[in-house]
Parts: sequence; structure tokens; C-alpha cells
Amino acid sequence: MSENFNIDDVSNLASIELSEDEKAKLQKDLQIILEHVDALKNIDVKDEKIDIHPLSKVLELRKDESKESLKHEDAMMNSPETKDGHFVVPPSIE
Amino acid sequence: MAKKIPSISKINELFQNKEMKPSELFEQVYETASYTESVLHAHLELFYDEGLKLSKESDNRYSKNESFGLLDGIPIAIKDNINVYGYKTTCSSKMLSNYVSPYDATVISSLKKAGTIFTGKTNLDEFAMGSSTENSAYGPTKNPWNPDFVPGGSSGGSAAVVSAGSAVASLGSDTGGSIRQPASFCGVVGFKPTYGTVSRYGLIAFASSLDQIGPITNTVDDTRIIFNEIQGYDSKDATSITPEYTKLENKKIKVGILKELMQEGVSKESQNEVNKVVTLLKEKGHDVTEISLPLTEMALSVYYLIAPAECSANLSRFDGVRYGIREDASTSYEMMNKTRSVGFGEEVKKRILLGTYALSAGYFDEYYGRALKVRSKIISDFKTAFDKVDFILSPTTPTPAFGFGDKTKNPLEMYLSDLCTIPANLAGLPAISVPTGLSENNLPLSVQIMGKPCSDYSLIDFAESIEEMVEFNFSPNLLKEKNES
Amino acid sequence: MNLKATIGMETHVELDTKSKMFCSCEVVETDEPNVSVCPTCLGLPGALPVPNKTAIEYIVMLSLGANCKITNEGMFHRKNYFYPDLPKNYQISQFDFPVGVNGSLEIVLDEELHSVEIERVHMEEDTGKSVHMGSGRIDSATSTLLDFNRSGIPLVEVVTKPVISTSKMAVAYIEELRQVVIDLGISKGKLEKGNLRFDANISVADENANELGTKVEIKNMNSLKSLEKAIDYEIMRQSKQVEKGESVIQETRHWDENKQVTVSMRTKEGSADYRYFSDPDLPNMIIDQDFIDNSKKNIQNLPTDKRKTLKESGLSLSDSNYLDKGEKWLYDLYLSTVENTKDSKSTFNFLTGELQGQMRKAEIDELPNWVDSVKLANLINLFETNEVSFTSAKDILTKLLSEDIDPKSYASDNNLIQSSDDEEIKALVTSIIKDNQDIVERLEDPEDKLVGFLVGQVMKSSENKVNPGTVKDILLKELFG
Repeated sequence: MSENFNIDDVSNLASIELSEDEKAKLQKDLQIILEHVDALKNIDVKDEKIDIHPLSKVLELRKDESKESLKHEDAMMNSPETKDGHFVVPPSIE
Repeated sequence: MAKKIPSISKINELFQNKEMKPSELFEQVYETASYTESVLHAHLELFYDEGLKLSKESDNRYSKNESFGLLDGIPIAIKDNINVYGYKTTCSSKMLSNYVSPYDATVISSLKKAGTIFTGKTNLDEFAMGSSTENSAYGPTKNPWNPDFVPGGSSGGSAAVVSAGSAVASLGSDTGGSIRQPASFCGVVGFKPTYGTVSRYGLIAFASSLDQIGPITNTVDDTRIIFNEIQGYDSKDATSITPEYTKLENKKIKVGILKELMQEGVSKESQNEVNKVVTLLKEKGHDVTEISLPLTEMALSVYYLIAPAECSANLSRFDGVRYGIREDASTSYEMMNKTRSVGFGEEVKKRILLGTYALSAGYFDEYYGRALKVRSKIISDFKTAFDKVDFILSPTTPTPAFGFGDKTKNPLEMYLSDLCTIPANLAGLPAISVPTGLSENNLPLSVQIMGKPCSDYSLIDFAESIEEMVEFNFSPNLLKEKNES
Repeated sequence: MNLKATIGMETHVELDTKSKMFCSCEVVETDEPNVSVCPTCLGLPGALPVPNKTAIEYIVMLSLGANCKITNEGMFHRKNYFYPDLPKNYQISQFDFPVGVNGSLEIVLDEELHSVEIERVHMEEDTGKSVHMGSGRIDSATSTLLDFNRSGIPLVEVVTKPVISTSKMAVAYIEELRQVVIDLGISKGKLEKGNLRFDANISVADENANELGTKVEIKNMNSLKSLEKAIDYEIMRQSKQVEKGESVIQETRHWDENKQVTVSMRTKEGSADYRYFSDPDLPNMIIDQDFIDNSKKNIQNLPTDKRKTLKESGLSLSDSNYLDKGEKWLYDLYLSTVENTKDSKSTFNFLTGELQGQMRKAEIDELPNWVDSVKLANLINLFETNEVSFTSAKDILTKLLSEDIDPKSYASDNNLIQSSDDEEIKALVTSIIKDNQDIVERLEDPEDKLVGFLVGQVMKSSENKVNPGTVKDILLKELFG
């Protein structure tokens, strides 16, 4: 298990940049946790059905009706940068 | 000066009889906050101006005998991971240090309709990940019983304000014990309702299949009153249920003592509280038996795969694009990487990485997939157990409150403090923590009672009978000292 | 070495619902950014998804229309990847329990029917829109503007098995799928609006090889012309590499309309590990028989049904395919007109050629209310029975489109009825033969082009009042016996 744990791959997937110090500390902590959860391997789980809802509730569907949305100003009020009613980010194409 | 706050029913009586006004009560809790906060750091923000204004409106309603009900004019504190329109919701994270919510959570709308006054937002472990509030980006909250000890977490702020009297009650959220564990550490009542009975809409998600909002209060009756107001189906939450609450038919109640939570790993002190309650129950003629659910020992492992996996996706939206802080960079991807690096604290990063790994190609079946299946087994084990008993009794926490820094070296040690509370989250069960006594060093201890799904009201009734039996009449040092001075 | 191409198509169909997939924001068509957004589709903290029932009905209809088996107990999954226009940085989609599986669509290529196998039909939500600002070159953007009005609009993804072999077949498949969603009434089906967007997975290998070649994905096209050109280009590019013995790189490319080539996309998204897992915000979804039966009620007259009716009227497969893809009024008009005419082919030709042509020229979208199938059938019958010439028929149609006339009375009143009187024609023919002896002497056989010239002369002398067919018959009889 955890010998395959590559903190660079995982932080890349999670989109979190890590300093070398952080990597060392997190790698150590995560190893401890992964070793602990390894205990689950000894439990027989063949044919176990999975319900997403702990009480096995079934999905209810919503009627197709439109309701009032957020006011444009409220939608934009937390935006770090805006232009002509858009959210602005650094270029997303390289 | 600081008075021990009466129960909500009692306060309502005082309001109705014009012996006290909501604005006077609001001023009283605000005054308490103004001298306790410098020690406790339990509130992140106080809504004084709006609170005073709204409590005066409530004064008017009572003067015209037009009050909205039991909660009208009651000052309640809100954990800072629940959205209140127009106020900051930070989740005690640097990431959301500037985030103002443009909408109300469903529980907030319900409480507003009931005339509740909000004292402010309370401190928590960042994004509700932790058991001590030591993970707050804005500094920890202290335990009102002894500021050298943690108040528990993640709803540490919400538990501390009730204990200290700077709010009559509070809302917390409970993913693995985050209401019950701090309630226990602070000597107040904490209730995690059945999954789906209280809408999660507007609660900033940590682990969606486990999260549940619930009250933290001085008395079990207060819990009943608040739960009654916030529960019910919400069309905005697809996991919300239309609860059909079960009633208890027999006066003689069957109580199971969970063997796996009365053994090594749980302190003698904590076990003794359960034994004390068992004796009292037996005296009242209730039927107490030991039960065993061996998979309870796997609960922590299951939890530490499912919760991080869900959180790794739930926290992906914090990327600096639409809200929150943003770090400068030359591309979007770099901006997101850096923002998330700066915005999240260590524990949050740890859990996101753990969850990301558990879901990644090649490891899914081994970790997350397997954890889901073991969870299914735990759920059916509880079902079987509840065929035999009405309620399951255990300690709420393995130990009383611990000191700052005591459990920060090894992540497992901190995680183990949720040992007794996690199973109810995995199975979606209602569970309540009721204070029963003090430890050797004068810190509160509690018992936890779990019920079957949708037994919330009967669980509350039963908890109230235990509350009466144990007569827990202690109050925190902070109040005593102030009273003496 | 003979190479063969294998193509699989992934098509996103935007559903035509009033509100979005997981929130109640209105689906709007506007240039004003971020005006139909809410906590859920903006990915604000604490917001939750609740699925749209109509969208689920629509995807069930599409699955049934594509002959799929419906998954009775399904669920939604989160597909995780970071992209600024994806608000939650995961897309709610479906993974191992899609709504529809193992279906097929019948398509027409020339006069042949083919079946395209459908692997899966699943539900998901759309992303926001990114506009890249900068010098105008895609690789030198200085910032990206984001609009989330589109975020959360319901999308159905239809995935074929790798069973398509040419660009023509891919185009025919998209045309068929588009018609199916239009006939089901579940999508506007406008390609230029991006209502259908498609990705093509293309590989090239030796035709005798057991395994497919390395797959290259061309992403996000929304025109049939681009699709055809991009596939042709990509097959050519890969074939050259395979022939040279070079290995094809597995990658995602896009079609560059300006340069008319496919270009590698080096985005982060392409290489991601999506970490699919069941969305804990959305419990298991049950689609029971009642739900399926209810959805079925709204399904009628899909392209295959229409083709069957058209073929029964006497049309060829390709003409039937043309009409079933056309506008509904034209299909209906054809069927009611052909009941009163004798020849399906000429009815088809007149309506799709002459009528549509004149309408386009006159810039009218709708037939005037006085133009009905009876008048059109009368008009078609007039030239079919040689009572008027085709040229006159065209003129009558022009008049009919601007004025309420009866074609037959109009033809008589305006002296457009052709003579079929053999004696009269014979007299004209004799006179023309006499006047053109030099030409008659040069005639070698009935196929000679000069026969046509003589027919023309006869027509001219009659002021086009005689039937050219009859003229030719009589002329040939006079000349060659």
C-alpha cells in the first residue's frame, strides 16, 4: 500500500502546491494513517451492496420550474477580479 | 454579574410575563461575551448592532403578545461553517477570510422565522476538521472550565459560548463527533440528529454523507426546542428525509451498553460515568444489557477514508476563482495551486491528500470502495442491535478535555478522541451527549446515547430522564470566578 | 499494407429544459454574463444539487429512442478535475451506472442502412464558458473571462462503440442523432448554438490487425463540416505515421479551423485521473417501469418511423433520409401532397427543389396560408400530365406564393395550357422540317443532339404551348419512321 504513496502525484491531483518541509511532515502523517486503515483489509466485504444515503433514501426529483437566481451583484460580490460582468482569472490556456 | 442562563422555556415565560425583555437578555449575553471572549476566543464575529435591533423588534412582539413562539428573542450563536446572509462565513480558514455569504442556510431561515437573534459566528477547527479548535486559522478557543484545556472540536466555539453564557444556545455541525465531543468537554448538551432530518443546505460541506447540523444547549429541553424548529424536509437538500419519528411504547426501556466502547482505549473515568448512569437506570427499573458490535473497532478506519475522500472533492471548489483569497500567478492552474497552498492549513491539506489518494486510479477499490462496504456492514449491525435494545449507551469521549498541544504530534491520537462518536455518523443515527459528572481535575464528563434512525424525539425524552437522574449542577470556573469577584 | 480507420463518437446534447440540471436557475440565451446563476451552479460553499425531473425524463426518452436498455437503479458520480470554468472543480456525471446502455441508431448512407451501436447514454451538467483575452492568438492569452450562465445546464452524453469507419458515416450518425433529439422534443438541436457538441476518437491500424491502433481524441466540435474535415485529416495524419512505422501518440487534439489541421492540446485536463466516486449529495436514483412507461408516451415518429412511411410512399432510401431530416412542415406537406399526385419522386423533387428554392429566394420561412397540399398537388399534376410545361409550372408556383390563385384556372386564364393535339403538332413539325432541310440531312440517328435543336424550334414556333415530349415523339416518327 503506502510504499506506492507518492506525495507529488497526489498534491498535483489535488492542486495544492507543497513546500519540501510540508511534504516531509505530511508524508509521515499520511503513512501513519494509511497503516492504521489497512486493518480494513481483513474484513470480508464480498457482495456488500452500497447505498449512497445511510438510511437508503431514494433520490427525489425536482419539478422543472425556474426560480429567481442570485442578483448579479450578489453573484459577483466575492469575486477577486471582475470585468464587464465576468469573473476574471489568469489565462487558462497555456 | 454573570448569571447562569435559565432554560429556553423559562426565558420564554419571563418574556411572556414581561419580567424580562429580549433586548435585556441580548445585552446580558453580549456583556458576558465582552469579558469572556478575551479569554475564550469562542466567537469569531459578534453581530451586536443587528442583534440589538432585532431583539428590540422581539420586545415589541412580546409587548403586543404577538411573539413567534418559544424561540422568539432567544440569542443563539452559529458555527462559522453555516451561511448567514450578508455576514462572513470563514470556516476558520484563511481561504475564506474575506468571504461574505450571499444567502442563508435553510436552518438560518428557519431560526429567523422563529424570531431567534444571532449573537454571532463561532470558532471551529478549519473546515470542521479537528477535535480541539487548535486547527482554526484564527487561533484556538479555550475551555471555559479551564483555559489550559481545549474545548474540543470542531464545534469548540459553539460549545464554549453556551458553557460560558455568551449565548443561550448554539448550532454546531457533527461529522464524526464535532457537536457531541466539544459539548462533553464543555459540560453542555450536544445533539447530532438522524442524518437527513436537518437540512444541510447552506452548511459548508466537510463530508456530505456524514455531516449533520445540530444544537448545543444547556438543557435537554432546549435541545428539543431547537431541534423541533430546524428539523424537517427541505427540497433544497436531496439527502433530506421526511421523518416519521418513532415513539417509545414501553415505559421499561431496554438499554444496551456497547462493549467495544467500554474497554482499553477508553479511560476508567469515562467508563465510570456510564456505570454510574447504568446504576441509576436499573434503579428506575430499566433493562440494561451488554451488547457487542465488533465492527465498531473498524469505525475509525472507515471514517478516515470516507470523510477525507468526500472532503477532497467538497473542498475542490476553493480555488480562488469566484471567491475567497487569491494568490497571483501567470496561469489559472498555478493560481489555483498557490491559492490552495496558502489558503488551507496543514490538517485540511492532510485530509484532502489522503482522500485524493484513496480515490485515485488503482487505489479506489482497496481504500474508498472497501470503506463504503464496511460502512454498509456497520449500518446493518446497528439495525440488528436495535431489534434488541431501544438505546445504546456509551461514554461520549474516551477522556475529559485534554491540554493544548497534547495530541498534535501524532494524527492518530487526535483522531482517537472521536472513537465513541464516529459510529453514529457512519450509521446516520441520532446521538446525544449529556453531561453527568466531573473528572478528577474538575473537567466535565458525559455519556452518549444513540437511538435508531428517526427516534430523535424519544431519544431526547430518554436523555432528559437521564439528565434528571444525574443532576449535573456544576458550572465552569470562568463563571464562578466572575461571580466571586 | 491496407489501413482501416476506427472511429467512436462522444456527443453532448444540451437538453431544452426550463431550469438547469441541479438548480432552479432559468436556462437563458443571453450575452449578459452571470445573470442566471445561483449558489449551486456557481459552486458557492454550502450549496447542494437537486436533479431536474424533466431532464431525467428526457434522457430516458433519448435512451429509448436509441434502443438502449434502461438502468433501473443508477447513481450520480463526481468527476474530479480542476478547470476554472468548472465551478466545483468536479462535474456531476455518471460513471458505472449510466441511464441507458447497449443501444443502436440506424443511419442511412446513400441507399444503404447501417446500424451504429451505442455504448452508453448518461446524464451530466455543463460547465461555464471561458473567453480568452489577449492578442487574439490562442496561445498568448493574457486573461480568461468566465461566464457561468451555461454552468449546470443539463447535458446528455451519447457514446458510440468504435464502429464508425469514415467521416461520412460519422456525419450521417450525428445527423441522425440530431434528428432523434429534435423529434423527441428534448433539445433544440441547433449545432451553431452548440446544442450538440462532439468528440471523435480515431485510430488507424492494419485492416487485418486484431487490435485497434492508438486512439487520438479530437475534442469539442460543433459543425458537421469541421467534423468531416477533422476526421479526414486525422486519418491521413495517422495513416502516414503508421505507414512510416512511427507510433501514434495517444493524446487529445483540437481542430484548427483557420489552419485546417488538428493540433495537440496540452491542457492539464487531458492527462487527469478523474477519481470518479458516487456523489454523496445525491442518493441512488430509481428509474422504475412506471417512469419508463410515462416517458415512452411522449415518443412518436422518430426518423426511422418517418423513413418507413416515406419509403412506403414510394421514395428511395436516400430521399426518405433527406426528408426525415428536414423541417417537419415539409415532411407533412410531402405526405399530404403525394396522396393527390401520382409520382412520389416528382412530388419530392418539386417540393424539395422548386418550392424550397423559391421560398429561399423570396426569403419566406413559412408557406402562405392559402398554399395547401391540394393546390400543390394540382400544380404538380398539371406538369406531370403535360398540361403545362415545367417552366410554366415554376411561374405558376411563383404566383401562388404571392397570391391566392387556383393553379389550373390561372394556367387557362393565362394561356399556359399546352396542346397535346397530335394533328396540330404534326403540322408544326412538318413546317419546321421543311424550313430546316440542311439540318435534317445531317441527322444520323435519333440520339443526335440536333434533334433537340429541332424540338426547340417547334416549341418556339408554338410559343411553348405544346408539350415538348409529344413534339419529340412526333418528330422522330416523321424523321426515322
